[in-house]
Amino acid sequence: MTKKSLVTAAAAAVVVAALTGGAFALQASALRAPSASSLTALRAATWLRRYRLVDSVFRIDGGRPQHATCVQTWFHEQGRNHVGAVLRLDDGFVLLAVPPHTLASRGGTPAERSSSPLALLELAGCPRVLARSLETAARDRAARQGRTRLRLVVGATRLTLTLEATSGRPVALAVSGPRIRGSSRIRYRQLDPAVLRRLLADLPR
Amino acid sequence: VATVEPATRLAAEPRTAARLPALAWIAGWWLAGRGLVFAAALAVHALGLSGHISRPEHPLGALEAWDGRWYRMVASGGYLLLPGRQSDPAFFPLFPILLRGGHALGLGYYTAGIVIANAAFLAALVCFYVLTRELLDDGLARRATIYLAIFPGGVVFSMVYPESLVLALIALAVLCALRERWLLAAVCAAAAALGRPEAVFVSLPLLALAWQRRRALTPLERGFALGAVLAAPAAIASFMLYLGRVLHDPFAWTVAQGAWGRRFSPYGFVTAFSNLGNDLARNAWVAREVVAVVLYLALIAVAVRTGVKWPWTVGATAIVLLPLFSGAFDSVSRFGLLAPALFWGLAALGRPPAGHRLIVAASTSLLVVATLTLPYMYP
Repeated sequence: MTKKSLVTAAAAAVVVAALTGGAFALQASALRAPSASSLTALRAATWLRRYRLVDSVFRIDGGRPQHATCVQTWFHEQGRNHVGAVLRLDDGFVLLAVPPHTLASRGGTPAERSSSPLALLELAGCPRVLARSLETAARDRAARQGRTRLRLVVGATRLTLTLEATSGRPVALAVSGPRIRGSSRIRYRQLDPAVLRRLLADLPR
Repeated sequence: VATVEPATRLAAEPRTAARLPALAWIAGWWLAGRGLVFAAALAVHALGLSGHISRPEHPLGALEAWDGRWYRMVASGGYLLLPGRQSDPAFFPLFPILLRGGHALGLGYYTAGIVIANAAFLAALVCFYVLTRELLDDGLARRATIYLAIFPGGVVFSMVYPESLVLALIALAVLCALRERWLLAAVCAAAAALGRPEAVFVSLPLLALAWQRRRALTPLERGFALGAVLAAPAAIASFMLYLGRVLHDPFAWTVAQGAWGRRFSPYGFVTAFSNLGNDLARNAWVAREVVAVVLYLALIAVAVRTGVKWPWTVGATAIVLLPLFSGAFDSVSRFGLLAPALFWGLAALGRPPAGHRLIVAASTSLLVVATLTLPYMYP
């Protein structure tokens, strides 16, 4: 390589390095970095999106503990497939939610029937519903982080998630809103066809 | 010094005097085009055409709609990648940085966006006119500038979108290179690529110019010229480095684009055509984008016949056709706005006075229609 070529290559390298470094510095100094709580909320949402079936034990308004199962799957409605959720409680309450058109329930106590369906689905740990709330809170910078707690506001409802310290996986949550106050512990399960058939049998419409 | 100074001033005065009418003429067309857009946007508000506008209560809500909301989100809160969902790393950082600057001066984000976009469009028209005059001829430059000022898809030049700014920077980068101010050309090319990824194709005319002039340049200048050629990819690399640092994923911008259905693949081009029937059945507005692709390719062909050099036509073709490799026609009409060769082709068609009148009449009518329909389809 001649001296002239070296000068040309060095000058080009300096220009490229200066532009790359300068542009990086501009972005780093002028744009806000995502907050730790937003990233924690996203990590929790990523955990939730790995599952379609969640078992939970929850209490509403200090009532007796209820065992609940929530499954999220596809429903064929009005010629198209939509992702929806089925929540079943041991006392016979069943809630079917398939946005944007279907919301139906059957059975249960007056407290369950009068609770906000969205808050019930969140309280039961319905994975996609909860993940979406977490992602929205992360995007809107509406999540606040404690040591193993994550607090977020979704509409008029406050959610507090307890996260596993090592993995950041949600293991418990508390919901507080105008039509519901409750807490739950959640457990993730693998979904198999037999369980899915049982959960989708005899749905309210 | 005493003798040189007046001589320089004397030489400069006629040039300035000659430039003034041209500037006034360009400002007139800018004012006319933007006047139509703003009047139509106010009509959208007055008629209550809310559609998908996020702030229908605002008189200029139509100009803040669609991607404007995303740019505002990046400006106010920075980037955040939501896997599997539409999220903001799909939007390049230059415009949000300027929105933050405007906000720091006391303007609202949306107001800052509209002010910056429209002021940058005036600068883009001036730079585009001077560039076209230098590369082609004055008559064609005038017509091309008029058509750019009133181009139907050019409604985005008044919205909270970065296209006007990026177009100004592309034209300025090549103008600087033509004047052998390579470092300034490099800065402009890098800034343009920080605004929109299509700006990477400014490297082609810069490469052609650098190659053409290589023997007249010193080794140091050749290095600066090469730096200018590589400036746009370097800026995109800096964006990826930044995303890698804050989101731990340098490819977050392509991941985020995936949520809009933009997944590039070698078969995407075929898929775009094979899915066209279904896409049209689901959303008739896709027809607008198909027409835009056909029209743009025809204009590029006219530009080639007019003598526009290959770096411009190859860049324009890539801007029009590459998005189809994502499997859809979405927004091609907007992407094409960053290809100057299209307007040069249109200007060649407008050489006969009847053709010129037809283009001006059709463009102004369609510009109004494009603004009135903003609530129903993204540009």
